[in-house]
Amino acid sequence: MSFVEFRGVTKTFGRAPAVEQLDVGIAQGEFFSLLGPSGCGKSTTLRMLAGFIAPSTGSIHVQGRDITHLPPEKRDIGIVFQNYAIFPHMNVFDNIAFGLVERGEDAATIRRKVGAALEQVGLSGYDERFERELSGGQKQRVALARVLVIEPHILLLDEPLSALDKKMREEMKFWIKSIQHSIGITTIYVTHDQSEALTMSDRIAVMDRGRVLQIGSPVEIYEQPRSRFIAEFIGESNLLPGRLARADGTTGAVEVAGAQVPARLAQPGLSTGAEVAFLIRPEQIRLEPWSADEAPMLTGKVADETYQGALRRYRIDAAGQHLTVEVPNRPELAQLPPGADVQLYWRPESGLALA
Amino acid sequence: MTERAIPWPMMALAVVGFAYMLLPIFVVVLAGLTAGEFLTFPPEGLSLRWVAAFLQSEKYLSAFFFSFRLALMTMVVATILGTAAALFLARSNVVGKAALRAFFLSPVVLPGVVVGFALFAFFIYSGMGLSRTIWGLWIGHILYSTPYVIGTVGAALAAYDDSLEEAARSLGASPWRAFRKVTLPNISQGIQAGSIFAFIVSFGQFEVSLFLSAPNAEPLPIAMYNSLRYQFDPSAAAAGIFAITLVIASVLLTNRLVNIRRLLGRQQGQ
Ligand SMILES: Nc1ncnc2c1ncn2[C@@H]1O[C@H](COP(=O)(O)OP(=O)(O)O)[C@@H](O)[C@H]1O
Ligand SMILES: [Mg+2]
Repeated sequence: MSFVEFRGVTKTFGRAPAVEQLDVGIAQGEFFSLLGPSGCGKSTTLRMLAGFIAPSTGSIHVQGRDITHLPPEKRDIGIVFQNYAIFPHMNVFDNIAFGLVERGEDAATIRRKVGAALEQVGLSGYDERFERELSGGQKQRVALARVLVIEPHILLLDEPLSALDKKMREEMKFWIKSIQHSIGITTIYVTHDQSEALTMSDRIAVMDRGRVLQIGSPVEIYEQPRSRFIAEFIGESNLLPGRLARADGTTGAVEVAGAQVPARLAQPGLSTGAEVAFLIRPEQIRLEPWSADEAPMLTGKVADETYQGALRRYRIDAAGQHLTVEVPNRPELAQLPPGADVQLYWRPESGLALA
Repeated sequence: MTERAIPWPMMALAVVGFAYMLLPIFVVVLAGLTAGEFLTFPPEGLSLRWVAAFLQSEKYLSAFFFSFRLALMTMVVATILGTAAALFLARSNVVGKAALRAFFLSPVVLPGVVVGFALFAFFIYSGMGLSRTIWGLWIGHILYSTPYVIGTVGAALAAYDDSLEEAARSLGASPWRAFRKVTLPNISQGIQAGSIFAFIVSFGQFEVSLFLSAPNAEPLPIAMYNSLRYQFDPSAAAAGIFAITLVIASVLLTNRLVNIRRLLGRQQGQ
């Protein structure tokens, strides 16, 4: 039995369901991400767990206990909102003390715990500040301190980094993960940013239009996406139209761009002759100048090249199909000008055939 | 930062507009300060004799204080009802909310005479014994003032981020505590503005009062009207001076309270 369980949860606003038939179990101490494009139902899922809205059908369980109809103040779940929701009429101290005051703690305990929380988030000495005097990153820290100080047993984070600039986002990503790791709190993290989900999560649930499409570790989600949507949504991908030429169990071969290449099969039931999408990630491809010696996966011509500092990104035309290839920017690698004939190599297990 | 230039035609229009609206006030004030026997403009010399007459007039003074008490009582009820209604309109999902909002706001849109007459007729036919009593008048004023509170509190709620209250709930506050400790302080300016509006609207209300006021308890506008019907007496204008002063004072006072609050907030923050 999982620590947190959604059992057949559906939430309908008006006609269209925002969340449909959600069955998810989250383990104690896990960092679990809900990842999906905007409007796919991530916040709705989180808000049902926090108790702000009730599911239309289904139930939610924490530690085996049905909390579907428990009001938010009885749930012991901390939530950090996208806009942080710092109380503007209270200073930082009173914001963080809020939950302790509601729990009837005495003044000395409150002072001690708030002080410790401020220290934990690196904001000692900011007690007297008001929301309007804090930067985005500081608001974020206050919001987190305000939640952690009450020691909830579940932490919910709704796109907590989306309001920050890029540099701050990178910094906070690791900071949040390290805090989560150090106190071991079960965390559900909502984001539409696949790189956040990949770097921070133990497991990811990819959602689209109210449904969970796949649940798995970052490695599984990235390397064994179950559908074209997931393959495209997570990371960069080359998805080429092809036909399954051979299938035996979990591997086979795909006819793609005028060649036959080996591939793993994303779905076991795929049969020979089926139309498939062939997935190969840009960083998995090795690019070589044309030579007669070795047998490549595909051959093609350089269509164009984009210089990206650490990387060179090539667009390759292979029998009318376009592929993106990323090559580390190292001096010993050959320069490939537009129009050059090239050979594309990758390990056989890098290719994936998707229904 | 430099002030942004306002195009002069707009400026001129604003000046003319303000002058047009404010001129009657000057007329009343000056007419109330006349030294002559009659309500005339321009005044025949300046004196305080009509102001003194007002201050000695049992009729005007009692009307003034009756209006004041009525406006205060109206303000209290309108503030509570209007805030509750604005919260309901902002948060419930009932069907026909737009229609409900229009209904709540209708007393301001309908001609006052219609509202006054409708209430008068209702009080008489329903036989509740409210016609031409203080209570009936109070109800009429509440009905007429509440929409202003709904308007200002509604605007404050539109600017208010509901996730603040959700945050409070999830930190352990009951619905009522979350409202009182988080929502209320953040919409208080809207409530204050609305209650001042309600006070002023009630204090200056005429049409509804005309139908509903009891003969022995006349609000100031009705007393002024009744007196002017029979004699064109400058003490009515003097009464007007006091009414205007009261309204301006209450507006300044709120402005002051609200600003002081902001000021304090800023200093605490440093
Ligand atoms: N209170 C609400 N009333 C009506 N529709 C809503 C409400 N909240 C969310 N929705 C709808 O439900 C869907 C999912 O929304 P949401 O969970 O906020 O998506 P996400 O957080 O993934 O961007 C959207 O189509 C949204 O318009
Ligand atoms: Mg969202």
